[in-house]
Formats: sequence, structure tokens, C-alpha cells
Amino acid sequence: MTTETELIEQLKRGDEAAFKTIVEQWKDLVYNTSLGIVQNETEAEDITQDVFIKVFENISSFKGESKLSTWLYRIATTTSLDHLRSKKRKKRFGFLFSLGGDENYESNQIPDFLHPGVKLDDKERAKMLFKAIGNLPENQKVAFTLHKLEGLSYREISEVLKTTVSAVESLMSRANQNLRKELETYYNRHYR
Amino acid sequence: MTNKEQIQKEIEQTLQSLDGVQRATANPFLFTRIKARMQKQQSGWEKAYSFIARPVVALAVLIMVLGINFIAVYNVVTPTTATTAIETENDINNEYDYMASADSFDDQILNNQ
Repeated sequence: MTTETELIEQLKRGDEAAFKTIVEQWKDLVYNTSLGIVQNETEAEDITQDVFIKVFENISSFKGESKLSTWLYRIATTTSLDHLRSKKRKKRFGFLFSLGGDENYESNQIPDFLHPGVKLDDKERAKMLFKAIGNLPENQKVAFTLHKLEGLSYREISEVLKTTVSAVESLMSRANQNLRKELETYYNRHYR
Repeated sequence: MTNKEQIQKEIEQTLQSLDGVQRATANPFLFTRIKARMQKQQSGWEKAYSFIARPVVALAVLIMVLGINFIAVYNVVTPTTATTAIETENDINNEYDYMASADSFDDQILNNQ
């Protein structure tokens, strides 16, 4: 069985079989991470393709100081956040065109996102939670997604984000506070 | 249970709704799609377009064009120091020539006297 180091060396030589192995081994990691951040299956699939193309094109810059999975998480999260920013910019321009009577402008309403891996009993609550996650600041969103959807420890998250464990603890604490606040607002309206 | 307690319970349950979530699985044909996309990107025009379309490249070209235009306009509007110096020198030469001719005129008068 080929080790990770051997796979990386083969990929650096442009070995297609090694690239295929890496894609097959890590595609769910990348897809699930991206899906948690962008909350759209089609977009997450496009981003997953982007991530692996970036891996292929930039493998020579991978020094092996961290695990391959850490590097993949890093590329997946930054590519996903870039996508969200780009989407936001397009939405702003789209709004301007709509003022001019452009009927092609899509509504601002984000459809409810249902993660395919959520248990049946928890689906409605999970929808609410993902909506609230979507409103978190970027760093909190990434930390929360990596922890909850990928099961990463705070130490592993700190390696992905290139920060300290205490910084991750702080991010998670603030993320939880913000999520509680948003859910409280929603449930206060719902239970009146 | 009071309303507040009910709400807190709902919040806790919602925050726990992702506990035990299964990882979403990617498209089984992902590698095939990646390969197709990479082959498409390798076509020459695609490469050229993707290079030109890069925001950094487009911005650099725009700055260069604006810079050249600015320099051209500036040169037309503002006379150069060399031109000014030549004009000044011409003025001085003309003045001295005049004075020289005036001097020689005075000399002629003196000689005639």
C-alpha cells in the first residue's frame, strides 16, 4: 500500500494514477467541508473539482510540513470562502441591475439547506442551524464547520487555520454565542 | 414549562442537531469530471483567455494604458525645461545681438565725431 509520502512524490512527477488515488481517498473530506460552508450541493461539487485541480497544479509547493489532509482542508476552506465572497459581489451587482428593471435578477432569498448526512429526526432543526451558521463571520463559520461536520479537534483546526488552539477556542465560543443569539431571536418569534 | 425554558430547550436541541452527522459523499465520477476539466483548460485559447482574464493582469494593463496616456497628455500640456531653457537662451542671444548692434552703432557715432 502506497504511503502518503510516496503518493505525493508520484504526484509531483505528474503521475495520473497517484492523482486519481488522492482524489478517491480525499474527495469526501473536501466535498463535505465545502458543502458545510457554501450550503449548496452543486456549488460544493464545483469547488471540490477546483480544489483538486489546485492540488495538482501546486503540489510542488507542498513541503510536507503538515499532513496532506491539513493542506486539503486549508485549500477547501479558502476556496469555499472565496466562492461565497464572489457570490456576494455578484448579488450586489445583480441588485443594481434589478433597480433598472432587469427581470433576470434572482431573489435574495437563500433556499433552506438540508445536509444529506443529518438524521431524519433532526432535519428541521438542522435546517435552522445551517441558516444561522450561514450568518456567522468567516473564521467562526470555518471553525464551527470543521468541528461539527468533520469532527476535527481544536488542535487540528488550529493547524488548518495556522493559528493557536486558544484562538480556535475563542472562535468556537463566539460562534456558539452568535448561534444562540440568532436561534433565540427565531424561537422567540416562533413561540409567541 | 415556561416559554423561556421551552425556547432554551429548543436552542439546545438545535445546536445538537448536527451531533452524529454523517459525512456527505462526493460524486462517484468526480475524477472523470476533474480530468475533463483539466483537458479543456489545457487548450491554448483557454490558457490565453484565463491569463488575460486574471484580475491582476487586467488591472496591470489598465494602469499601464492610463499611465502612458497621462504621460502623453502631460508632455503636451507642460513645456519642457529644455525647451524653456532654449527659449530663454534665444531671448538672451537676441538681446545681446541687439546690444551688440547698438554698441557698434554707438562706436560709429563716436568715430564720426
